Formats: sequence, structure tokens, C-alpha cells
Amino acid sequence: MDNTMSTEQQLAQTMPVKRYQASIKAWCIDVLLWSYSFLVLYKLGYQSWWLDLRHIDFSWSEPLYSLLLGGLIASVLSYTKASVGKACYGLIAFEEGRSLFRAASVRLGLLFLLLTFIAGLQVSQVSMREFFSDSGLAGAQRIFTALLNPNFAILEEALFAAVETVYMAFIATALAIPVAFVLAFFAARNLMKHSALSFAIYAVLRFLMNLTRSIEPLVWAIIFSVWVGIGPFSGMLALFLHSVASLTKLYSEQIEAIQDGPVEAMTATGAHPIQIIWYGVVPQIVLPYLSYTIYRWDINVRMATVIGLVGGGGIGTMLMQYQGLARWNDVGMLVIVIAAIVWLMDYASAKIRAHLK
Amino acid sequence: MTLLRGENLCKTYPNGTQALSQINFSVEEGEFLVVIGLSGSGKSTLLRCINQLHPINSGAIHFEQQRLDQLHGRALRQQRSRIGMIFQQFNLIPRKSVLTNVLAGALASTPIWKSLLGLYSKKQQQQALAYLRIVGLEHKAYVRADNLSGGQQQRVAIARALMQNPKILLADEPVASLDPSTSHSVMKYLQKINRELGVTVICNLHFLSLVRTYASRVLALKDGKIVYQGAPEDIDEQWFKTIYGEEAVEVSIN
Repeated sequence: MDNTMSTEQQLAQTMPVKRYQASIKAWCIDVLLWSYSFLVLYKLGYQSWWLDLRHIDFSWSEPLYSLLLGGLIASVLSYTKASVGKACYGLIAFEEGRSLFRAASVRLGLLFLLLTFIAGLQVSQVSMREFFSDSGLAGAQRIFTALLNPNFAILEEALFAAVETVYMAFIATALAIPVAFVLAFFAARNLMKHSALSFAIYAVLRFLMNLTRSIEPLVWAIIFSVWVGIGPFSGMLALFLHSVASLTKLYSEQIEAIQDGPVEAMTATGAHPIQIIWYGVVPQIVLPYLSYTIYRWDINVRMATVIGLVGGGGIGTMLMQYQGLARWNDVGMLVIVIAAIVWLMDYASAKIRAHLK
Repeated sequence: MTLLRGENLCKTYPNGTQALSQINFSVEEGEFLVVIGLSGSGKSTLLRCINQLHPINSGAIHFEQQRLDQLHGRALRQQRSRIGMIFQQFNLIPRKSVLTNVLAGALASTPIWKSLLGLYSKKQQQQALAYLRIVGLEHKAYVRADNLSGGQQQRVAIARALMQNPKILLADEPVASLDPSTSHSVMKYLQKINRELGVTVICNLHFLSLVRTYASRVLALKDGKIVYQGAPEDIDEQWFKTIYGEEAVEVSIN
């Protein structure tokens, strides 16, 4: 009886605090949205359209003023129902039976969305005039004619480069598997949450892996081409690093999704932690691991063609060279070979993965 | 002779649920002790506190001459290997053969590198087959464990526990996911290893009819406290209502 009383009292005390926290977060969202809108209106509406400036400078005072103005408006609106932030945190009760689009907060939200859409069109320099201009259409005709008349004389050379690309992707995947296999256990929350030290390892590892993954393989290839020189090796290293990060994440998620039962049973037999993992965890993850790994090889082949563009070797490098020489018939041939490999890998990996399920 | 003794066991989970409070009990060698109580009364927690799958917050667990709650690492694994355990969901290793599953019971007494390569000694393999014979599943030794029926899987789990050569067998609702006739078959095997192999059994159960048939002593839990200890035949209408609440009606399982 005592227990239930105290928890109810605790709940009563924490509720206003929770509400208070939510209102602050809601206010922050509103400030961000409003100051963002002012900045966009000023830059796009005033400087770009009204003054028709060719080159728009940036100064730190503009976002600062926008922030002040946004904060002011958000503070005023936080007392009304016209607040997107409050709607996000459920602080506004929507009337039942009434259309959502009649609520002020929803209308405001749509307005922000519309503003972003218009700004996006402007920033991307979308122009129908350029798309359908005479010189543009002539250029399109020239390149498509060349691409559709591929130069079969370089087929042999292209296939040879393609083989290089596939091998590069294969080695990157194969070398990534054992590394990711070991790292995945240290990146799985359910295995690492039990002590402070292991949780710290988990957190650091997760952070490093996320960092590695958020940098595109293309960028890694540039870094490694300076390190080990231009060629397939730098491309392989880039793919390897990215694969380790991705596979570690996929593998560790698989470990987190296992059933606890066998692990508990192995623990109860008095098994060593290594034995618990080998007998309680590994049999549950082998098939999904295989499936992910094959998928990863498929992705790596696709990426390897792109990585070649920055000097990572293989068919991508060849493509870049011919494109630089404007030999569009040769480029056409290369595009066909690349498409064929990607399609083949895609098909094979889908078939194999379907059988693994 | 007292084999296992719990003194003032208290267990509170990190989320604040108090699962056990001031539990005192002892288990004599050769007993078939059945623990009854509603779901959430702390039965499963009690079993898991005995072999330290869940550490206790206070109190003491004496197993022969050892304080189990004070052991760590190698010493704890050593003692755990002498306490077999079977589960409601069987908890066999999926995609592995029945024989491999039974052999997993010998992990604590096998060097790590050998167990990783699956190199079990001839003697261990013969032992595993012998235990499979006891539970009547020798002919299924090379079948994948997840292809067996529920009752068969539980019998494999019993063989795995026997492989540990245990002093005590903990059974956490071993028949709760089985149909009535299979339930009796599994309970009969537990009775057999209790009587013929002399393994002390502590078993959580739901059905009183099973309790009356198999238990040599009963311990009832309610809200993490012991509300009854005694012989199974002494549980009358009044005790039944104390344990399961005023609304409860006894259902039997034949």
C-alpha cells in the first residue's frame, strides 16, 4: 500500500516538471522556425528578388537579428495556440471532429514548409528556360547519340577494368568481415550494458563507427589516394573502412535482436562468457550475417565504380579518363558495362539472400 | 542433509519492482520441492537468484559449504555447473543438433578452445547419448533441435541439464507451454531423475493437480513473500484462496 502511495505522489510531482520541460522544448522549436523564416525572407525575398543582387554576401549579424526577432515572436505566440512546437509536444488539444487544417499551428507548419520549398527552388537554380534551350537540347542530342552508339573496340579493355572493380569490392568486403565480426560484439548494447567500463567501450565504438560511416567512401578514397597513391588499393581501403563501419552496425543490431533464452541457458550451465557467445549468440546470427555480407558486397561493387572516378582504380577511373577526353562513344560502352555488372550483382545477391531466409 | 538454504533473500529490480522480500527456505537432499504462486509472485526470480542469473540485493544463499551470492567469475561458474536449469521456453540453441545441445551442458568442464571447435571427448559424447536415452530421445540425436515438438525440446533441455551432472535441478515452469498429456510426460521424466538419479529438484508450477502428484513439499509465494510451506496434501480450500486470491477456482489437469 505504501508503495503505491509514494509512486502516485512521485507522479504528481514529476508531471508539472515534464510539462515545463516540454514547453521549453516547444519554445526552442518555435524560435528556430521563426528565425529561420526571417532569415530566408530577408535573403531571398529582400536581397535576391527585391534588390536583385547577383552576389549575396553573408554576415553574422543577419542570423543574429533573425534569432532575436524569432525569439520575440515565439515568446508572444507561446501564449496562443499558434505554435508548431507546442503542437509537436502535444501541449495543444486538437478539437475532435474539426479538420486538422483549420488549426492555426498546422497552418503555420504548412507555411514554413511552403517557404522552404520556394527557397529550395531558388537555391537549386531550377530553370525551365535552360532545360529547354536550343543549345542545351543540341548538347543532349549529341551526348545521347554518342552514348547509344557505344564503341565496341574498347569492350575488352572495359571488361578487364570491370574485373578489377569486382575484385576490389570483393577483397574490401572479405577483409571487413572478420574485423566487423569482432567489433560487433563490442557494439551491441545488450552485451555491453552490464558494467560501466564495457558501456564506455560500447559508446566510444558506436561514435567512431557512426563518424566513419557518415564520411562518404568517395571522401575516404580521396584521403587514401594521397596516402597510398592513386589506384585500386586506395579504392579498396576506402571501401574496406566504410564496410567495417556499416557491417559492425548491421551485425550489432542483429546481436541486439537475439532471443535471450539460449544466452540465459548457457549462462546457467556455468559456461565461460566466450562459450556463451559462441553457443548462445552466434547460432542465432549466422544467417542474417551472411545475408548482410552479400548485400554489402553488392553495394561495394556499385560504390567501387563511383570511387574509380576519384582515382580509386577499376572501371570508374577509365570512365573519368574518357569523359575528360570527351570520347562519348567510349563512355557509352563503359556505362553499358557498368550497368551490366551492377544488374548482375544485384540479381545474384537478391537470389542468394532469398534462399538464405 | 540440507543442500540449499536461502536466508532473508531480498531482490528489487532496477525499475523498482520488489520481487522478493525476506525469503527464508531450505532444501533437503533428494527433495522434489515445488514452488507455486500467481504470475508475478516471484517464483521465477527466486529460481534465478539461486544460481545467480539475477544477483540478490541482500541475504545469503548457502549451497553445500559455499555462499553462492559471494562468488564471482570462475568460482561462480564452477558452482553454477553443479546446478542444472530448465526453462518454460526450453531455450535450446537453434539450428544445432540435439546432440550438440546436450553437449552444451558440459561447457563448464570443457576447455574453451575445444568447445569452440566442437571437440568433445568420446566419453562426453557417450554420456550425452546416455542422457538422451534416459529422456527417450536417443534416436533424435542428429536432428535439428528446433525441428522437435515442445515436449521433446523440453526433454532435450533435461538431458542438457543432466549433462552438467547436477546436484540440483531448477525447473522454471517447465510445462507451462505444453499441452496436458505432454506436461505429464515431462513431469514424469523430472520425477524419474529425482528418484533414480537422486537429483534434488526445485520446480515452479501453476497447476495444483500436478503439484499434488509430483511434489514432496510445497512452498507458496505471494507478492514476493512465502505464505505457505508444507506437504502438498495439506493445501485445502482455505490455503488455496490465500495463495491465489478469493476469486480463484481450482482447475485440474489430467
